[in-house]
Amino acid sequence: MNCLDFHREKLADPRRLSVAARSHASECASCLAFAQSVDESEAQIERALATAVPEGLAARVLLQRRNAARPAWRAWALAASIVLSIAVGFNALKTAAPGEDTKYAAYAIEHVVESPESFTTLLNTGPDALNEAIRSVGGKIKEPIGRVRYIKLCPVGKDFGWHIVFETPQGLATLILVPNRQIASAASASESGWSAMVRPARMGYYAVVTASAENTEIIDRQIKTRVEWVAARDEFTGVQVAALSAFAAPFLPSKN
Amino acid sequence: MLPSGQKTRDFEQTVLAYSADLYRYAYWLCHDRFLAEDLVQEAFTRAWKSWADLHEIAAVKPWLITILRHEYARTFARKRLPMTEDDVYELEIPAASRVTDDLEMEQCIGHLPLAYREPLLLQVLGGYSCVEIAELLGTSEGAVMTRLTRARQALRKHYPEIEKRRAIL
Repeated sequence: MNCLDFHREKLADPRRLSVAARSHASECASCLAFAQSVDESEAQIERALATAVPEGLAARVLLQRRNAARPAWRAWALAASIVLSIAVGFNALKTAAPGEDTKYAAYAIEHVVESPESFTTLLNTGPDALNEAIRSVGGKIKEPIGRVRYIKLCPVGKDFGWHIVFETPQGLATLILVPNRQIASAASASESGWSAMVRPARMGYYAVVTASAENTEIIDRQIKTRVEWVAARDEFTGVQVAALSAFAAPFLPSKN
Repeated sequence: MLPSGQKTRDFEQTVLAYSADLYRYAYWLCHDRFLAEDLVQEAFTRAWKSWADLHEIAAVKPWLITILRHEYARTFARKRLPMTEDDVYELEIPAASRVTDDLEMEQCIGHLPLAYREPLLLQVLGGYSCVEIAELLGTSEGAVMTRLTRARQALRKHYPEIEKRRAIL
């Protein structure tokens, strides 16, 4: 291979050099310098092409697909099921059924399904944001829970909560922390291929969501052992959603 | 045939995995954020309708890119994209003087003719080899190599200028 061939190959596909080209570069100082210069401009090109993706794009695509797939009779069935749910829910309220907390597990799953960008975006990955989020439900981290990729304050059901995505040996897991909403007991739910477990915390509740019941159970055990519920309830009684939102403002993505 | 639940799950995971890549690809094709999102929506809608035609989930990304290219072509007068063999050597790459004021690499890429820009997008954003790009664009490997070489040569002309300006700043 001569220098001209090397230049042509490097410019056509900088990351896939043939053995002959690599061998040539190792013996030709001029071509090695050329290769380094191409790699630098390539990095510049990559940065330029990595244009920002609109938030919630995947969710909108999925929503459109679901809406298109829902025939008219299903809309009627949905309406009927909503009426039925309201009736059943009203009855459940009156009787205070012990399984009522499963709805919070369902909220957590619903939120994960509606936030697909949480798995592909790196947001507020520093330890401070995680510590503050855990603290807002009266907890303290004893051991790292895994590398955090995403933390955002989101509406979850009728409340606001911290949506956290972190890496585990079982894959990505979601932890949702909802301050100021007490639940009576642990509960679980499975929907749309997701499995969630909710548990009461000192000052609210938390939910673990993964793609399988088995992984949810494993991560739930890890959370129980790695987070200490230390704070007295009174320390946080003044924390309201408005204050939480104000705290969260610097962490929220900019509007542009 | 896949069970309905599995099909839905595969499709949803595909959307989560590739919508960002497809959006960037679409954006750099059309330079319009709204149109890019429409193209992605339409591409996934068509992909869902034809999901049974996808024989191998591993081939889903090039398949989606092909659908998106067709959507883009359909948007512009229902004709093929200008990717024919004979026009490639006649395409004009903007001279340095025309983009002297647009020193950012982003703008330089935007000035590349589509025939040069598209293989570059497929390689940098998609990670495809020249052979794979040739298959996607329906052209020869040699033609793809030529276009990529010319695209990078054009961008490299401006790269030192960008670096110089950044150093001054």
